[in-house]
Amino acid sequence: MIESMSHGIGVDIAFLLLATLAVVTAWRVFRTDSMVRASFFLLVSFIAVGVIMILLAAEYLGVAMFFMMAVEMTVMALFMVMFMMNPAGLNPMNMVHQERISIGAGVVSFLVLSAMALLAVFPDRPVSAGLDPVRSLGNEMLGDSMLIFESAGLVLLTTMIGVVVLSSHRGRYGAATEGSLPPGLESGGDPAGKPEEDEDGEDGGHHHHHH
Amino acid sequence: MIVEELVLPVLMVFFMLAAGAYTVAVLDRVIAGALGTPQTGSVWIAPLARGAWLMTQHANATEAPDWRAWRLAPALYLSLAAIGLAVVPWSGSLVATDLVTSVVLWGSVEALATVVIFLHGWSANALFALIGGYRYVALGLSYILISMFVLIGVALPAESLQFTQVVASQEELWNVIRQPLGLPLFLIVGLGMTFWGPLNLADSADLAGGTAAEISGPPRLVWDVARAAMLVAFSGVATSAFLGGWLGPWLPGPLWVAIKMLAVLLVLLLLGRLLPRLAPERCVTLMWVILLPLSFIDLVWAGVGALL
Repeated sequence: MIESMSHGIGVDIAFLLLATLAVVTAWRVFRTDSMVRASFFLLVSFIAVGVIMILLAAEYLGVAMFFMMAVEMTVMALFMVMFMMNPAGLNPMNMVHQERISIGAGVVSFLVLSAMALLAVFPDRPVSAGLDPVRSLGNEMLGDSMLIFESAGLVLLTTMIGVVVLSSHRGRYGAATEGSLPPGLESGGDPAGKPEEDEDGEDGGHHHHHH
Repeated sequence: MIVEELVLPVLMVFFMLAAGAYTVAVLDRVIAGALGTPQTGSVWIAPLARGAWLMTQHANATEAPDWRAWRLAPALYLSLAAIGLAVVPWSGSLVATDLVTSVVLWGSVEALATVVIFLHGWSANALFALIGGYRYVALGLSYILISMFVLIGVALPAESLQFTQVVASQEELWNVIRQPLGLPLFLIVGLGMTFWGPLNLADSADLAGGTAAEISGPPRLVWDVARAAMLVAFSGVATSAFLGGWLGPWLPGPLWVAIKMLAVLLVLLLLGRLLPRLAPERCVTLMWVILLPLSFIDLVWAGVGALL
C-alpha cells in the first residue's frame, strides 16, 4: 500500500493543473461560438484527461485517448461544418439549445457523481509493483473476451466499408458522376432554383440574321 | 533526480529541434545546389540569415482570424515534433522519454498533427489557407492509417510498444530487411505528414502557399522550423523502427543513430527535390488503393514472421 501511494508532489501538482485544464476547456466548449472551436476545446479537455490516466499508470489507455480523440474530433468538426449552414465554421453561432433541460440534466448528473465520489466505498486492492499495465490490458481484452472484441471490430469494419460503398456514388442530388441538380419542388418536377429558360432563348440569336 | 529526469531530457530535445532543423535547411540547400538550382550565399549561413530576416519581418494579419489558434498552430506543430524527437532512443539508456507505449505516442503525434495543420489553415480566415487545411485532413487520415499498420508491424517482433524494445528486437536482423515494405511506406507517410516535396499538398504552390499562404515574419519562421523538425523526428523514428537504431559495429550507439538519421534525411530531401508534386485526387487514390493494401500486406507479413 505504501509503495503504490509513494508518488512525488509533482504528480499532485500535475493532476491539479490537468484537472483544471480539463474542466475549463470543457466549459469553453459551450461558451465558444463556433463548431470547430468547440470540437477542439473538447479535444484539449480529453487530452488533459488522457494525461491524468497516464499519471494513474494507465499508460496505454491514456495515450490511446490522444490519437482516438484527435481523429474523432477532426472528423466531428468537419462533419458539423458540412451539415451546418456555416461556411468554414468561422462565423459566430450559438452553441447551446434546450437550455432548461440541459441545466437540469447537468445538475442531476453533477449531484449523482459527487455523491458517488463522496459516499461510495472504493475497493483497496493495490497492484504489485511488477505489473505491466499494457500486457495485462492486452490479456484482458484479447484473452477471454477476444471473441467479443474481434467480432465487434469486424462488424465496425464491415459497417465502415459498407458506408463508404453506399455513399461514394450517390450524393444528395443524384449520382456524383452526373453533376448536381437540386430536387424539384413537386415530385418529378423541374429542379428547384433553376432560372426560367427563355422559350426561344437558344436560337434567339438566329432571328436577327434574317434581314 | 530532477536534473536527470527533467532538465537533461528537455535540453536534449531542444538541442535536437535546433540542430535538426538547421541540418535539414543546410542539406536541402546542398542538394538543390548539386541538382543545379543556383544558390546565393554560403549554404551554412543562408538558413540562419533567412531565419534572422523572418524574425525582423512584420507578422501578417488577415481579416478577423481566430488569433489564438492561428498563432498557436505553428508552436503546437513544433511541440509535436519535439514529442516525436523525445521518443527516439539514442542508446539503450539514453532516451528522453522511455514510455512503455512510445510507439502509440508517436501514432498520436501523427493524429494530432492533422488537427494542428487543419487549425493552421482554418484559423487564418482566408480561402487558400482553408482549402489547404481541408485538403490535409482528407489526406492525413490515409497517412495515419498506413503509418499505424506499418508501426504495428514493427511492434510485433518486439512484443512491445516501446521504441527501445523495438530497437533491441532488431539485434539479429533489422526490420528494413525483415519487413521490406515497412520503411518505404513509412518514408512516404513522412513526406506526406510534413507536406514535403511530391506530397506537399497542404502548403503547395497551386494554393499560393496553402495553410501558410497568409503567414509571414516570426510565425512563418516557427512553421518552417516545425516542418523541418518534424521531418527530423520522422527520420529518428524510421531509424529506431527499421534501421536498428543504435545497433552497429565499431562506433558508439548515439553516433550510429545520428548517421542513420542523416542517411534517412538525405533520402527524404532528395526525393523531395527530384519528384514532381502529385495531384491531390491522384494522391488519395494512390494512398487508399495501392499504399494502404500494401501496408496490410506488410502487417500480415510481420504477423506471420512473428509467429514462425
